[in-house]
Amino acid sequence: MKNKFKIIFAGGLIGIFGAVLVFVGNPVNMGICVACFYRDITGALGLHRASVVQYLRPEIMGFVLGAFIIAKLKKEFKPRGGSSPLIRFFFGFFLIVGALVFLGCPLRMILRLANGDLNAVVGLAGYITGIIIGIRFLKIGFTIGRSVNQPKIAGYSMPIISIVLLIFLFIAPSFIFFSESGPGSYTAPIIWSLAAGLLIGGTLQRTRLCTAGGFRDIILIKDFHLMWGLIGIFIFSLIGNLILNPDNFMIGFSGQPIAHSEHIWNFLGMVLVGLTAVLLGGCPLRQTILAAEGDTDAVITIFGFIAGSAFVHNFGLAASPKGVPQNGKIAVVIGIIVVLGIAFMVAKENQRKRKLSKEAKGGKVSV
Amino acid sequence: MTEYYCVMTFHSTHHSLIFEKELKKRGFKIKLMPVPRQVSSSCGTAAKIPCNLRDDIISICNEENIEVDEVHKIEQKNTKNWFERFLSS
Repeated sequence: MKNKFKIIFAGGLIGIFGAVLVFVGNPVNMGICVACFYRDITGALGLHRASVVQYLRPEIMGFVLGAFIIAKLKKEFKPRGGSSPLIRFFFGFFLIVGALVFLGCPLRMILRLANGDLNAVVGLAGYITGIIIGIRFLKIGFTIGRSVNQPKIAGYSMPIISIVLLIFLFIAPSFIFFSESGPGSYTAPIIWSLAAGLLIGGTLQRTRLCTAGGFRDIILIKDFHLMWGLIGIFIFSLIGNLILNPDNFMIGFSGQPIAHSEHIWNFLGMVLVGLTAVLLGGCPLRQTILAAEGDTDAVITIFGFIAGSAFVHNFGLAASPKGVPQNGKIAVVIGIIVVLGIAFMVAKENQRKRKLSKEAKGGKVSV
Repeated sequence: MTEYYCVMTFHSTHHSLIFEKELKKRGFKIKLMPVPRQVSSSCGTAAKIPCNLRDDIISICNEENIEVDEVHKIEQKNTKNWFERFLSS
């Protein structure tokens, strides 16, 4: 019971800050969006030149440093890695393709739901479908492999990168891009963003809240613990929005902020996100926390997000309130095919290996 | 009153699923659960097993090539309050 309150509280913290950050300046329905924020950071670094989505979002650095500090204090910081880094990079890459066609990571999907955006219901259906497909692959033998200890310095990568990005944010050198219009120009005061990020990061390190894990655990082991956290996000974001941003609250499909109503692509985009998130063992939010705890594979996944964001905008794949461009549709279909192909081949290989090592032990040798 | 149960963790979710299948086939009473927070900050799938059958279960895992990470003994505090005790009595 105590645990249940803790996880609802953790979700509630995200939900409330989601509303508060909109109130103090972040884009509507985008108080917190992990995928969008990596996309903005990618733009600020000049890796893509979509001038409306460039900003070094301090929330991300807050997540990392908050989780890092708590993990260090609790002696849970553990440099590790080597579990299929390259496959993770590609999964991270395609996760972002799906997210930027839907226009949001699973966290923003919940925040959009809490603000009455019904397009997010379609996204949610896609997300759950993707998770179910991913679980099928876990059952037939997909595994991303076990990680081993890594040099200490490797584990510090993400906290160090975050500090460097914060320095760039404060001194704003000329090679960093800052949007002058569009979503990237809507920003909460740095101190608010950073404080919210630190608090949420620390809390998530303790509670392991994950938007993919919530659904995975229900389907796989009938455990509702993480789902309570997701419900917490929804309810508290809803309450926060109704109190702080009542003018933006609107139930319906059309005219929703930073969203489109191409149902097929909202659905398929989130299928791709759900599928990759389950195979990766966590949604973008969770990957960020893992990276802060010293998981170098999660850092590679984040590099995948950043590379993905750069390609999505450079190739014109990203959706906008006007809809999904042709190239974006093709990219989502290619993404689903590639990810399914990789998952299938890894699963087959594992099945073969298991059979062989069993035979070698004299389990089932047929002469 | 404190009770104990044992938790077995795995290197991959896939192995925890094979574990569940193989042990249920052999009639063991085991249950999959999220890795307890006090054991690890990872978010994988673990199995709750009776502590007294620990060695038998580990040898089955070796036989079936299920890679076990660790086995932990967990103290289960009796957290039921008077109302829950009343309901279950």
